Amino acid sequence: MSVTDANVALFMENAAKVAAGLHQIAGTDELKGKLAEIVERDVDVFCPKQTELENLAAGFLDRLIPHYREAWVTVEEVTAAIAETGSIVCTSANGKAVQASLIPSHHVALVPREKIFATLDDFFAVYGVSPSTNMTIITGPSRTADIELNLVIGVHGPEKLDIVVI
Amino acid sequence: MNTQTSLNFRSNAAAAIEDKSLRKAMRNATETFGSKRTVAMGSIDFELLREKASNIRMEVINNLPAYIEKFTTKATAAGATVHRAVDAKSANQIIAGILQDHNVKMVAKGKSMVSEETHLNAHLEEEGFEVVETDLGEYIIQLEGETPSHIIVPAIHKNRQQIGKLFHERLDMEYSEDPQALTKFARKVLREKFLTADAGISGANFAIAESGSLILFTNEGNGRMVTSVPPLHIAILSVEKILPSLAELPTFMRLLPRSATGQMLTSYVSILTGNRKEGDATGAQELHVVLLDNGRSEILKGDCREILKCIRCGACMNVCPVYRTVGGHSYGWTYPGPMGIVLTTLLTGMANSYSLVDASTLCGACNDACPVKVPLKEMILKQRVRRVTEGYSSTAVSLGMSLFGLAIKHPLMFSTGETLASKFWSVMRTVGGENVAGRLPCPAKIPFSRRMS
Repeated sequence: MSVTDANVALFMENAAKVAAGLHQIAGTDELKGKLAEIVERDVDVFCPKQTELENLAAGFLDRLIPHYREAWVTVEEVTAAIAETGSIVCTSANGKAVQASLIPSHHVALVPREKIFATLDDFFAVYGVSPSTNMTIITGPSRTADIELNLVIGVHGPEKLDIVVI
Repeated sequence: MNTQTSLNFRSNAAAAIEDKSLRKAMRNATETFGSKRTVAMGSIDFELLREKASNIRMEVINNLPAYIEKFTTKATAAGATVHRAVDAKSANQIIAGILQDHNVKMVAKGKSMVSEETHLNAHLEEEGFEVVETDLGEYIIQLEGETPSHIIVPAIHKNRQQIGKLFHERLDMEYSEDPQALTKFARKVLREKFLTADAGISGANFAIAESGSLILFTNEGNGRMVTSVPPLHIAILSVEKILPSLAELPTFMRLLPRSATGQMLTSYVSILTGNRKEGDATGAQELHVVLLDNGRSEILKGDCREILKCIRCGACMNVCPVYRTVGGHSYGWTYPGPMGIVLTTLLTGMANSYSLVDASTLCGACNDACPVKVPLKEMILKQRVRRVTEGYSSTAVSLGMSLFGLAIKHPLMFSTGETLASKFWSVMRTVGGENVAGRLPCPAKIPFSRRMS
């Protein structure tokens, strides 16, 4: 198994533990079908269209709107992912709005497999040297246990997190 | 509840023990945390990691002024304005001043124990600002006019029926005791606040010297909201919360959530470096960081400086047999449990807190649970010594201890005392009152020493 294969396997295993919806597709030719399966119909969708992958995804999405504030779902490519914790990372680099992964109710994260780091240390060795204004490490959907320690998913952030590893 | 002080620990605790719903809530919470923590620790080498974490924290504490200086320089370079506050009053004034300068009316606030320490909300409300707590637990206790009873789960002492009733009475929500329904309702109410707030105030779990970044561990998403949606963000944290660089953060990412809630990692870890810069679409336009001292520099000079390693996970509370029984409000100040005993006596002074040093069985469970190896048991013992040397032990205890000290050095006096005590125990019980009656067993008729001879 290559290093990347091992990272993908560990990432999938750990992300599954934190109540994220997990999907794996063999290549971008499967993206259209996968998005049709994940993204709700008849809702407004935000896609930043800043990367090649996002541009491709945008072509498969109806009801695209230009601002995340009014969107029900955000579909975006993440900066990185971390296998050790099953986390994805969104950053403000290249003028990206990190709140797009916070305000809409549903967050769909596209993760190219080569962006997965094995450990937190590996991630910070690259991104910790000169951090962008906002780096947010996301591990599962928004949650609380403030009432009698009952787990409730979806407090102020997204109720639903889907991760598509490509 | 807000009238409680640390000096009333005994009477607060006695009342808490009678509160059945509190006992039930505490048992549920601390047992759940305990078992989740055990599972989460299974995936790491706890001893190895906490040794490493302890060393990192100690390095910072031993060189704190230099690290504060470095953080200040780097954060300023990244576009933040850094303020130093010597005490609670000065922190509150600095924050009120910033809000006034920006014509702020409403503030959305994220969870911050330091702001509880400075009574920031009360101060800001007096100055005419509307302050809305946005962490669900903090929001619940704000509606009720209470203070947190646990540093991680502030409303741990309230059950769903009480919260349902509160939301019904204060927010006109149709009565429900379903945590899901109550949470969704709070989401709706608070979403509006985030989007219209003029400023956000948050705490921070760590500050990074090398990059000038602030680190926030959160689950709900409100921490992300208050730090990135309003145009102005003010973060308040105590001076010792610094880590050297982001390279050290993974160690604490592995330890803090596992120790606090038994999670592998919180839903969100935010790394915020300066304000919104040219080309950015994220971040507050203006970022202010208030570093609060409030007595930490004095602790640094003393023999309990290791308490400054504390990362506020709450693990020592969850395992403490005293905390588990009496809950957080009994301690009377911001921080409860074993770390709370040490911090409260050091920060508020022995005169205001001497009865707290009894709130421990010295079993050492806190030492075993601490992810940064703070020797809590030894520090509580040191505070007990301080209580005596500073003259805050009761006359009866001092007199009793002096007599015992005398007797133990003179065998004849000791055995005479024993004989007298066993003969006149019923009299002594009456004279000594409830404390003696309930706690001390009657001495044997024939003492052990005489049986042997």
